Amino acid sequence: MSAFFEVTNLGVRIGDTAIVSNLNIGFREGEVTALLGHNGSGKSTLLKILARQLSPSTGEASLLGHSFRDTGAREFARIVGYLPQHPPGTDGLTVRELVALGRYPWRGPLGRYTDEDHQLIDQAIEDTGLSRFRHRSVDTLSGGERQRAWIAMLLAQKTRCLLLDEPISALDVKHQVETLRLVHRLAEERDLTVIVVLHDVDLAARFCDRLVALREGQSIADGTPQEVMTSDTLETIYGVPMGVMERAPGQWVSYVH
Amino acid sequence: MYAETRLATNTPGLPARLPLAAALLWLGALAASASPWLAELDPAALISAFWTYNSHDYTSVLAHFSWAPRVSVAILIGCGLGLAGAVTQQVLGNPLASPTTLGVEAGGQFGVTIATLFAPAVLAFSPDLAAVAGGLLAIFLVIALTWRLGFSPVTVILAGLVITFFMGALNMAFLLLKGEWLGNLFIWGAGSLVQNNWTPFMDLWPRVLVLALALVLLMRPLQLLQLGQASASSLGARVGMIRMLALFLVVLMSATVVSRVGVVAFVGLAAPVLARLLGARNLVERLVWSTLFGGGLLLLADTLAHWASTWGDGSLVPTGTTTALIGGPIILLALQSFRNTHHMPGQDASPTGFIPIRRPAVVIGSVLLTLLLATFIVSMGWSPGLQEWSWTPLSQWDDAWVWRGPRMLAAILAGVSLGLAGTLIQRMTGNVMASPEMLGISGGAALVMVLIVLSGAEVGRAGQLTAATVGAAGALGLLILLARRHRFAGTQLLLGGLALYVFMDSGLRLVMASGGTVASKLLNWMYGATWLISESEALALLSLILLISLCLFTVIRPLTILPLGDTSASSLGLPVGRARLALLLLAALLTASATVVIGPLSFVGLIAPHLARVLGQHTVGRQMMVAALAGGLLLAVADYLSRIVVYPGQLPAGLLAALVGGLYFLWGLSRHGRS
Repeated sequence: MSAFFEVTNLGVRIGDTAIVSNLNIGFREGEVTALLGHNGSGKSTLLKILARQLSPSTGEASLLGHSFRDTGAREFARIVGYLPQHPPGTDGLTVRELVALGRYPWRGPLGRYTDEDHQLIDQAIEDTGLSRFRHRSVDTLSGGERQRAWIAMLLAQKTRCLLLDEPISALDVKHQVETLRLVHRLAEERDLTVIVVLHDVDLAARFCDRLVALREGQSIADGTPQEVMTSDTLETIYGVPMGVMERAPGQWVSYVH
Repeated sequence: MYAETRLATNTPGLPARLPLAAALLWLGALAASASPWLAELDPAALISAFWTYNSHDYTSVLAHFSWAPRVSVAILIGCGLGLAGAVTQQVLGNPLASPTTLGVEAGGQFGVTIATLFAPAVLAFSPDLAAVAGGLLAIFLVIALTWRLGFSPVTVILAGLVITFFMGALNMAFLLLKGEWLGNLFIWGAGSLVQNNWTPFMDLWPRVLVLALALVLLMRPLQLLQLGQASASSLGARVGMIRMLALFLVVLMSATVVSRVGVVAFVGLAAPVLARLLGARNLVERLVWSTLFGGGLLLLADTLAHWASTWGDGSLVPTGTTTALIGGPIILLALQSFRNTHHMPGQDASPTGFIPIRRPAVVIGSVLLTLLLATFIVSMGWSPGLQEWSWTPLSQWDDAWVWRGPRMLAAILAGVSLGLAGTLIQRMTGNVMASPEMLGISGGAALVMVLIVLSGAEVGRAGQLTAATVGAAGALGLLILLARRHRFAGTQLLLGGLALYVFMDSGLRLVMASGGTVASKLLNWMYGATWLISESEALALLSLILLISLCLFTVIRPLTILPLGDTSASSLGLPVGRARLALLLLAALLTASATVVIGPLSFVGLIAPHLARVLGQHTVGRQMMVAALAGGLLLAVADYLSRIVVYPGQLPAGLLAALVGGLYFLWGLSRHGRS
């Protein structure tokens, strides 16, 4: 399988501080990857680079073998969808209107919405379980529902890849699990590549195929949950002594000593 | 898997009140506009006046060439400005944005003034060119200033407001220096829609239509902006370019209007606000209904202006005045309904990052006092003569005092009281960007005085001071009442101030348009002509300020406690209500006494407390003292400069203070973003 994203010699500087330096990493198609690391480790920055929200100071990023520089804005948006960490208030938009905006990369400023577009929009709402909220204002939804509405917009975008920046950090445990389960299911059904920044290493290990840990802009651990979920590796990632138990196959519990 | 709840299953429809209100507005405006004509023409004939006329009937001719084009122009411009306002709000994600509040209209006017003076050929070639250049300059300044602050809504409006004041002050400076060339700009600048044929309308409609179509084509990209920069660009929209393009079109639209009929303020703000308040939800609805409301509002305002002109003594009442009268209440209405989600710059500036080193008050105080003394000596002694600069010998100071003393004393006192009032207000509201000028408190004082001038009554200084105090107290009280719910957070206070300023401005325009001696007197006073002060008045002011300063000693401690919050303050044994009232009265009195001397538009009340802070004074008492000295020094220098800059002519000291103060404020604003 060829690399979906390929990042070589990546460096990002903001002012005088190097956030990421000399990072080489690739992401395969159809893989669900979690980016781990403590605050300030550069994981959100890496995600923003992949979403083309930031441009690298040095190095090269490419999508499906083409450099980011050669890809048009809407062309890129048809392949990669990005959910920022704090989506803004939507000022009265209903769920369906929000989701419909996901068709912009395909239809542009003037193109008419066809039946197919409307089908995709309804399908996205259906898939995220928001049918009942279709005509509700997004601002009046609860945190978990609002998060799903934004994910639905990304689905309507019909991309092959989702980049999610801490999608569950503001949710309670029930909604955290529901959101990740939803992402996991969608990734399988629609054969999506997903890269998600997460804080909770147990949930990450549970729902992702691959864990990548960053510290000071360097990749310090990279592998399947099986490989990463050891007390030594976790200690390197978070800098505190940690232990891990495998309660059942594929279900780890980590704890601080 | 997900909780089942009972919910509406239909698309939320248009609230019925929206079309109802629009229909009422249009019908009311049309009926009001047509009613004087219906006595002489039957309705069918009146309607046909839009395309034909009966050459044997004078009324019919008049209707065809005067009434019908005026109505058409009002509707056209109103619709255009309404649309432009709605687009501006969408682009900046800011419920207060509009061509007026961003300074575009003031910029356009400034451009035309400059062109009239220095390059009249440009105006003959195309009046739009100068206005567009001025408008672009204004919006460029606003954007450049707020770039680093990430376009935070209130900051953008603050910057726009200051640019408006600043360009207004520049306009005035030119007007006072070259009045003979610019007389007509008075009426023109106030937005008059009087027509005598169809040419202006025919000239205007293709431009407005093309611009409107271009804006409508941008609809879908504009919609994406609602999702925030990150999401919009991840959907493939070029956010920067969309913003740029949309704002450019808005500037074109406003400048086209400004260059033809002058500043028609606040239609671009009032129409979208009204549409939003009545329940226009998404962008399409907002654009459509703002356009409709804009047309209706301007027609109504224009009709009112027309009526006022006929009922009054025949002097022209420009439409700009009545739009401001309608715009003011709508802004106040909006004040009540917007959720307070915006932050004021300065309110969240973390104290740790922005507090300069503390310095001993005695040192700073004596440095300022020395400077003040030096200014006093230079101002009294060193002055330009007809041939050369010379020192007035000490023996002649007695004679010189009559000319140079009282005005300087009054200027210093005004500076002192503005410094004190500014500190009081900043401490009361807990907001370092608040000041008598920005919050419209000076505007309130000025409004009452403008009204007195309008009514033609003769009052002495004492009467003026009382009236101004009432105005200032009224304004401040109103603000506190309105903002109480929101704990004096930025948007509400600022909007209130804006509304008051609008009222004052409209009164002023009215006086200007009527022309005559009253206008020039008022103009001089508005921009702080200190030469109007007599010795006894200055001395009376001195004793008043000294008295108030004594009172201030008793409020230092309450003022330290109040920002801790009502609960903490009252549990410390402070009668919160009474303390607030006392502070309010003191601040109003101080503002009023300064406004009587220096006019409402100097930025001293904003700058002096800020300077005191920068100079390292953080406790209430010290900040007040140093702010008072700094304010006095600023205006003393301004007064001296106003005497010598265009010698043997004079400029009002307040105008100079406003120009310098505006620059300082803009600098401070851009500095704020870096911390």
